[in-house]
Amino acid sequence: MFKRSVRKGNYAYAVTRVKAKKSKLLKEEDYDKMIQMSVPEISRYISEAGYQKEMTDLAGKYSGITLVEHATYQNMANVFNSILGASQGELADMVAAYLEKWDLWNLKVILRGKSYGVDADGIREDLVLAGKVDEESLNKLISLDSVEDVLSESSRTGMVTIPNEVIASYKETGNLGVVEDHLDKLHYQRLLDSINPYTQPTRIFLNYIRKEIDIVNLKTIMKLKHEGIYGDEVMKYYIPGGMEIDTKYAQLLANYDTIKASLGDLSRLEVFEEYIKPAMEGDDITHKGILSSMKKYQADQAKKMAHMYPLSVLPIIDFMVAKETEVRNIRVVARGVDGGLSRETIKGLVVI
Amino acid sequence: MGAHDVTPNRSVLLQLKSKIKLTQGGHKVLKMKRDGLIIEFFEVLEKAKQMRAGVSSDYEAAMEKINIATTVKGEIAVKSAAYALKADPQVKLSSKSIMGMMVPKVEAERIHTKLTDKGYGVIETSTYIEEAAMAFEKLLDTIVRAAEVETTMKKLLEEIEKTKRRVNALEFKIIPELKESERFVKFSLEEMERENTTRLKHLKKE
Repeated sequence: MFKRSVRKGNYAYAVTRVKAKKSKLLKEEDYDKMIQMSVPEISRYISEAGYQKEMTDLAGKYSGITLVEHATYQNMANVFNSILGASQGELADMVAAYLEKWDLWNLKVILRGKSYGVDADGIREDLVLAGKVDEESLNKLISLDSVEDVLSESSRTGMVTIPNEVIASYKETGNLGVVEDHLDKLHYQRLLDSINPYTQPTRIFLNYIRKEIDIVNLKTIMKLKHEGIYGDEVMKYYIPGGMEIDTKYAQLLANYDTIKASLGDLSRLEVFEEYIKPAMEGDDITHKGILSSMKKYQADQAKKMAHMYPLSVLPIIDFMVAKETEVRNIRVVARGVDGGLSRETIKGLVVI
Repeated sequence: MGAHDVTPNRSVLLQLKSKIKLTQGGHKVLKMKRDGLIIEFFEVLEKAKQMRAGVSSDYEAAMEKINIATTVKGEIAVKSAAYALKADPQVKLSSKSIMGMMVPKVEAERIHTKLTDKGYGVIETSTYIEEAAMAFEKLLDTIVRAAEVETTMKKLLEEIEKTKRRVNALEFKIIPELKESERFVKFSLEEMERENTTRLKHLKKE
């Protein structure tokens, strides 16, 4: 009689698992130590911090910094797959929808590889199997001859739906960017559709995703403004469904020709006071500084919401964001050390 | 042809005199060309030095950007973005003349590709990757301009060398030989004149 509906999801079990995993993630002091090490020492350090299996598995194929990068991605993929495997019901649906971005990442890698003429092994090397599409299906896509074949096979299997006008635009210009941008929009559309906002935690998750869409839109507007593109051209890349940035507001921001000119209207955003404003202080206003402060905002949002609703999808999302950040930070430190970047530069690139 | 392999007569002497005048004129013009080319060379050399420094600093900046992009986004993401880029840089080749010498003129027609035309999605592509791409575009532009200056410099060097050889040949071989022939013809004519005078005196005695 106390059994919960399977459709509802096994929140307690899945959250307990991710909390145990989260406690093992690297801390700020670990990165401080790693910055002082050489690449082999970093490899050993992360092996002892939970990456042993992947490091050993891939040691025959890669070495040095490439091994660190592939092993950390592989570990992240394994961890995400285990979370997805342990989730049930609506929880599994939401986690799968969130992880779909890795399927789209893989699809983009395959499309780019096919467009450039990279061989199958070269494409396979760059895949990150952290999504719900299995290796076999991806291999099938890799074995196809052209970009058009990959797109029609992906549409046929229901992995993605590409409208005819997007395919026509690709065929006309040869620019894969139109397909990629469509895939990114599709990801957020599907993610929003997968969330049923009938409980407070799912409503909060929906709000989190809508805020993420705002951040993605804001980043796109900033990137294009930096490139000197503004106005209606920017709106082609607008993703609908955001929390604060609706079409009208996006158009308003897009119409300014510089980032500085848009400051007045940017101040309406929740993210402005604590994250954008500090990044804009001083003479050297770089859009990169603003973009990286927004990444921090996303991580902080996930953390905050996970604390508010401990028995929901939010702690799982928070863990996935934290895991991605850990993998990114390990790569930043290892590549930074390998590339001879100064300790201050590496520290500035690490997101804590 | 040796200086003494000429027929000593007045017509040859006149021909030699005119040849010497022409050759000396040519020698003067070539010397002026050589000096002009050397001045031009030093100007181009200064430009080439600046271009080399520019290539070197742009290369360092580009490598730093790609290093940071690979550090932040990983090799996989950078490689994948590179695969997406299909736009080929276009350069226009023509030629211009420096003191009658043709040197190439290279103009970068399409090096910079707009973010929206790069071939990868605008929404998800990292700023770090975009910055690295822009730094390499700038490097390519500098390399194209440096290629023009370097080629001009090499062509100028070859031309200076060629002109110097011609000037030296005229100065130390052709003009002295012609002068020697002229002297030989003059002496021979004088000798013939003396012989004639002597012969006439003998005839008068008889």
